[in-house]
Amino acid sequence: MKAILLKLLALFMLFSINSAFANEHNAVAMEKASTHKEENYQSKPFSEMIEGFLESTGIVALVNPDPDELNAKGEKMSDFHKGLGRVIMIFVTFLLFWLAIAKGFEPLLLLPIAFGGLLANIPVAGIAGEHGFLGVIYNMGLSNEMFPIIIFMGVGAMTDFGPLLSNPKTALLGGAAQFGIFGTLVGAVALSQAGFVDFTLQQASAISIIGGADGPTSIFIATKLAPELLGAIAVASYSYMAMVPIIQPPIMKALTTEEERKIKMTTLRHVSRLEKLVFPILVLLLAILVLPESTPLIGAFMFGNFLKESGVVERLNDTLQNALINIVTIFLGLGVGSKLAADQFLVPDTMFIMVLGIVAFSVGTAAGVLMAKLMNLFPGHKINPLIGSAGVSAVPMAARVSNKVGMEYDRSNMLLMHAMGPNVAGVIGSAVAAGVLISLFQ
Amino acid sequence: METNLILEGFKFMVLGMGTVFMFLIVLIFMMNMMSKIVHKYFPEPQVDINPPVANKQDNKKVIAAITAAIAHHRQS
Repeated sequence: MKAILLKLLALFMLFSINSAFANEHNAVAMEKASTHKEENYQSKPFSEMIEGFLESTGIVALVNPDPDELNAKGEKMSDFHKGLGRVIMIFVTFLLFWLAIAKGFEPLLLLPIAFGGLLANIPVAGIAGEHGFLGVIYNMGLSNEMFPIIIFMGVGAMTDFGPLLSNPKTALLGGAAQFGIFGTLVGAVALSQAGFVDFTLQQASAISIIGGADGPTSIFIATKLAPELLGAIAVASYSYMAMVPIIQPPIMKALTTEEERKIKMTTLRHVSRLEKLVFPILVLLLAILVLPESTPLIGAFMFGNFLKESGVVERLNDTLQNALINIVTIFLGLGVGSKLAADQFLVPDTMFIMVLGIVAFSVGTAAGVLMAKLMNLFPGHKINPLIGSAGVSAVPMAARVSNKVGMEYDRSNMLLMHAMGPNVAGVIGSAVAAGVLISLFQ
Repeated sequence: METNLILEGFKFMVLGMGTVFMFLIVLIFMMNMMSKIVHKYFPEPQVDINPPVANKQDNKKVIAAITAAIAHHRQS
């Protein structure tokens, strides 16, 4: 009780200091504005005007940066991050454009992120700063974890739990794949233990959630636990998700025998409408009882799904699946892109995040496949281990990969619907894992 | 202090994977139970049986019409 009171007091003090500071700031701004008005416009010789204009160009700002320039957080930046670093980042965003357009890597998110990154690295304009429009977007919906939640509603409205309901035990595969998260967490702390990087436990957790292969969840956790790493985590998460068809098949093939890959699964039974309608409520109830920390994500997800399955609010369902998720995707992408500013992205941490991210994906894939093999040791219907890899969320890409690899060995073996079970279970699994991580840091 | 961090990581892993699996296992039980209850007490109306009956009747009518038409054709 005492501790709570103390915390409240501290919070109150913090706010009062903040507001005092803001008042001072406003006063200064007002003063500035008034002097500005009195000055009005003064006529200058043309040569001076040209000189002044030339000094305000981007070239000058890049080559000879303003020593007092502050970054989005109001801290001083090194000369590298103001000059060459920005040029490098602009080329990095070009690389992302190429990946999105020519290679088709998750263009829906990668393009807004990359363009946001391009805008965030413009000198002088300060678009990603407190009052720039990217900064405003970031503060509007990312720093308070609003956008990922809305995206989750849309994803819920697009998800069909039918395959999972008709073969419930495949949910275990979606659980096993979450090993990618926690395995990488250990890897990340081991790296910082060995002295390569300096990740705190919070940062390590935020990085490891990339293994959940779930964009909104990664962003949700990153903004909560390590906002300074958001840019790198989101870019790693989405680019690896797009690379699922490249990353997963070698791992799946290495861990299975040819006979296992040819296993045919029994046809899925029909799932009644009532079952689908009760399911979201069931999951939410369980989340409320076991892990309330995960209910923002699961609640939003199940809300979207419930609207869809209810069948009586087609208009809302349609908006969630299309208009709303599209609008929010634009904002989410641009907001994340604002974190691609050179001073936040061009740091050694980013490289480690990229490496740890791909490790997380691979470990998750392997764990899912191995879990399927383990389940085949028990009596019951056999499971094709290829669907285990779909446990790493990444809906529906991972399920398509399972289907494709399965067809390579037996043209008539359709695994897509079977793989959707672990796939959607993976989304629930990573939301639960996210809830555990959040609850551990409370 | 130094060794603490990795140990913490392992603690997170055990707790995290434990929770995820427990959640999903309970969910599997609940799903199975829910399906049984739904199938037992709220079976879906069997839509598949009715249409064929209607079809049979329709077929009879059609057959009758065709027969009549053929008969009519032969007569004329």
